[in-house]
Amino acid sequence: MKHILVIDDAATVRLFHRDILEAGGYAVSEALNGIEALEKSLQTDFDLYLVDVNMPKLDGYGFLHELRAREQPQAPAIMVSTEAGDRDRALAYAAGANHYLIKPVRPEALLAAVGLLLGESHAP
Amino acid sequence: MGLKKPPTQTAATQDERRLPRDFKGLCQALEDDSPKARRWAARDLAAFPEASAALLARLGREPDHSVREVILTSLTRLGDATALAGLIDCLRSEDALLRNDAIEALQQLPEEVAPHMERLLADPDSDMRIFAVNVLQSLRHPQVEPWLIAVIEHDPHVNVCAAAVDLLGEVGTAAARAPLRALKKRFAEEPYIRFATDLALKRVGEG
Repeated sequence: MKHILVIDDAATVRLFHRDILEAGGYAVSEALNGIEALEKSLQTDFDLYLVDVNMPKLDGYGFLHELRAREQPQAPAIMVSTEAGDRDRALAYAAGANHYLIKPVRPEALLAAVGLLLGESHAP
Repeated sequence: MGLKKPPTQTAATQDERRLPRDFKGLCQALEDDSPKARRWAARDLAAFPEASAALLARLGREPDHSVREVILTSLTRLGDATALAGLIDCLRSEDALLRNDAIEALQQLPEEVAPHMERLLADPDSDMRIFAVNVLQSLRHPQVEPWLIAVIEHDPHVNVCAAAVDLLGEVGTAAARAPLRALKKRFAEEPYIRFATDLALKRVGEG
């Protein structure tokens, strides 16, 4: 089973994303901010990261910068943001995101993006 | 055994506090190359009621997070109109860390922030309104629930309402039930709002 780390400081958002992803057949772990996510990523080889932008301690951009600076195989990341602008998308991709979703995320859009990035032939 | 005596706390402190501890000297020390000296200056400036402007000016360009933290603590202690306006300005910063630090500082100033809250919650920028809701998260003030209810009743932006619903799930009472049900109806096409309002309704005693 593919393992996804959901990173968001809002408990309700984490729960919402967890419900969608578990219903789609994925295992899910959670982190409350970028620092906690970096720690968890050292202990577990996640298959994908679902990353909020605005978080205390270390935001989504900072997390991805740190993660991508590591010399090891890299799992794909989906950045989730309230911002729909081109500048914000560009910042996310520059930080190392592979996909960008706008909040509030729709379940079908999330599962389609995850399926695409994990190279699955079907959207779960 | 010739053990080397470690420098005492006082010696280090004196070294980092070598500039005069008057207002002018502290403002100078706030620009020192050493983060330690800047930290001490930021701490000691809290004793000067006129220090907010100098602290805010440094905050905007201070690269060291530990110095920033002390500056924010001193601004929170001062808590005057200048400090408050500066902290509110930080919410518009592109620097997410500074923004989050400012949110935490504003949460420590409930009585001072309260007169500004309605204006912040009505800001034309939806991001500012979300940050205002974030300030409410740990704000110990009796108006928190009424402010959040007003947000979910009137704010047109789904993500501002989403932030308010998350918080109402934690601090809401029976008074939030009808507004939560109305919000669910208003954003009936948004799965997240449906999910979050159901969760909040359960938490406020209606499941």
